Amino acid sequence: MRIDVDALKCIGCMACEMACGYHRDDAFALLASCIVVYRAREKKDYFGVVVKEEESLTIARPEGVEIKRIGVAEEAGDSGQKKEADASAKPMLLREPCDLCSDMKYGPMCVKICPVNAISLQDEGE
Amino acid sequence: MDYLSSNKILIVDLNTGETSEDALDDDLVSQKIGGVGITSSLYETYKDRDPVILGTGLLTGTLFPASALSVISAKSPRTGYLTHSPFTLKAGMELKYTGFDYVVILGRSENPVFLWLHDGVADILDAAELWGKDVWNTTDLLRKSMGDDLIQTLVIGPAGEEGSDLAQVCVNYWANGDCWGFGKVLGEKNLKAVALRGMGLLEISDAEDFVDQCFEIFEAIKGSALEGKRGVEDILIALGESDAREWLAPVVHRHSACYNTPYPTNTFIYLNEDPTTLTEPAEPEPGFMITDIGALLALKKSGLSAADAGHVLRACARRGVDPAAVAEIIGKTGQKDPKAIEQSLEGLQGTVAVPQGAKFSSWVPQNPIFGDFGLSGESSLRDWWVRRQAVAYLFGIHPIFANMSPELSEEVILEMVNKGTGLDLSQETLDQVIEDICS
Ligand code: SF4
Ligand code: SF4
Repeated sequence: MRIDVDALKCIGCMACEMACGYHRDDAFALLASCIVVYRAREKKDYFGVVVKEEESLTIARPEGVEIKRIGVAEEAGDSGQKKEADASAKPMLLREPCDLCSDMKYGPMCVKICPVNAISLQDEGE
Repeated sequence: MDYLSSNKILIVDLNTGETSEDALDDDLVSQKIGGVGITSSLYETYKDRDPVILGTGLLTGTLFPASALSVISAKSPRTGYLTHSPFTLKAGMELKYTGFDYVVILGRSENPVFLWLHDGVADILDAAELWGKDVWNTTDLLRKSMGDDLIQTLVIGPAGEEGSDLAQVCVNYWANGDCWGFGKVLGEKNLKAVALRGMGLLEISDAEDFVDQCFEIFEAIKGSALEGKRGVEDILIALGESDAREWLAPVVHRHSACYNTPYPTNTFIYLNEDPTTLTEPAEPEPGFMITDIGALLALKKSGLSAADAGHVLRACARRGVDPAAVAEIIGKTGQKDPKAIEQSLEGLQGTVAVPQGAKFSSWVPQNPIFGDFGLSGESSLRDWWVRRQAVAYLFGIHPIFANMSPELSEEVILEMVNKGTGLDLSQETLDQVIEDICS
C-alpha cells in the first residue's frame, strides 16, 4: 500500500503535514514530516503535495501524479525532487520515508485528517 | 509555559536596536489565556512606548481545526484606541514556530528596518533597500535575500510609508485582517516588515487525548453544513449574493485554505492567464488571491466585473492599502473603471465608518456562514459576532471559520486547551477575559 494524493482536490491546508509531524515527533512540528505541501510558487497559485517513500518520491501536482525512484530523482538534476526541494527547510530525501503510520492507532494520519479527502491509500503499483 | 508554547515573549526596542526576552508565565496564561488576552495586557504594560504587539493563541499552529490565527494589537489611527487585527494564511502558524509566542515592538527606529524572527532568534536588520518598494517586491526581495521562499511576511507598502490612515499590514502578497490602519503605525516606526520562519516544536500535555479529540472534531466538521462548499463564492452566496458563482466563474483558478483550516476561505483568480491552466504558468504574476470577502462584495455591488475587481484588489495589495476601505470610498464616487481606480489609490484619502467601540476586524463577515448557531434578533447577532471573534482571537482560531463552525464551541475549545496545556482554564475565566478585552 502507498499514499496517493489528488492535488486538484487539495486546498493546501497543511493538516497532513502537521499530522505526519506529530506521528514523527509526538509533538507539533513540521521538520520531520514525510508528506509536505509544496507552496513555494505562491504568486502563481501552483501547489501540490510531495510524499517521501522508501524508494521513491510521489509528487502530486495539479496536472497529475509523478512517482520518481529516489536514485533517479537525485540524478535528475533540476527536475523531480530538486524542483520541489524549496518546499521545506529539510530536504525531503533526508527525511524518514512514509511508514503508513504503522505504530499509530489511527492508521495513516494524513488520510484521516485531510478535510477534502484528497489523500487515499492505494495498492502498490496502482 | 511548557506546553503549546515557546515560552517566550520577545521585546524589541526600535530606538536602541536591542531585543530582550521574558518567559511566558503560567500565571499570566491562567489569568489572561492568550492571544488578545495577553496582547492587551502587554499593551497596558508598555503603552507609553507606542507598542505594536504580535501574539499567538494557545491553539495556534496545532492540529486543532482552523488553528491558523495570530494577531496584531496596537492603537489604531482610525479609532485612537487599542484594536486587534487577525492574520492567517500560513503566517499565523509560522509566528508560533519562530520560537516566540508574543513580540512587543516598542518605539521608533531612526532608519528603515525589518524584523527577522527565526528559530528563536530576532534580528533587526537594515531595510534601506526595501523602503519605497511595494508589498509584492518587498516580499520577493526578503525571500530572495534569505534564500527561502517559505518565509512569511507582515509587510507595508507605499501607503504605510506615506502615513495613510487606510494603510494595511499585508501578509506576503495579500490583503488580510488589518482594517485599522496598522500599516501607518508600522510606517511611523520605520518598520517595513516582519519576516517569519520557524522550525520550532510544541510539546503537548496530554498528547494522545488532544489528538484523538482533534480527529473527532474534524470528523464532525466533515459531515457539517459546509461540506462540499468552496472558496469565497460559496461564502458570498451564503451572505445572499446568489449570482456570485456565475460572476466569479470566468476568472476562478483554485481555492485554498489557511493553515489547518477545513474550509478554503481564499480564492485565486487568474487575470492574465487562462484560469483553467493546471500546469505551472509561465507568467510570474498571473493573478491575485482574494482573501477579503467584504472588499470583493463591495466592488461587485459597485458594478465591477470579477476581473476588474481582481485588478483593483491586486493594486490595493501592492500598495498596501485596505481594500475594503477603498471599495467603500470608491463606491461612493460611482467610479467603475479599474484603471482610474488604481490611479486614484495614490494619495487616496477618506474616512470609513467604524462601529462604535469596535475592537475586532470587520474583515470577518458579520453573520454566521453555513453553520446554524441558533441565533435570532438583531442585537443578539452583533453580540454573538463580537463574542465569537473574541474567542477566535484569544485561542488562535481562524476568525472566518469560527463563524462557520458551531462544532468549535467554547466548551470544546476550553476542554482542548486544558488537555493541551495541562492548565485548568474555566468558563468563568473565559467570561472575565472576554469582558476585559471588550470593555
Ligand atoms: S501515512 Fe503516516 S507516515 Fe505516511 S505520509 Fe501519511 S502521516 Fe506520514
Ligand atoms: S490535508 Fe489534504 S487538503 Fe490539506 S494539504 Fe494535505 S492533501 Fe491538501
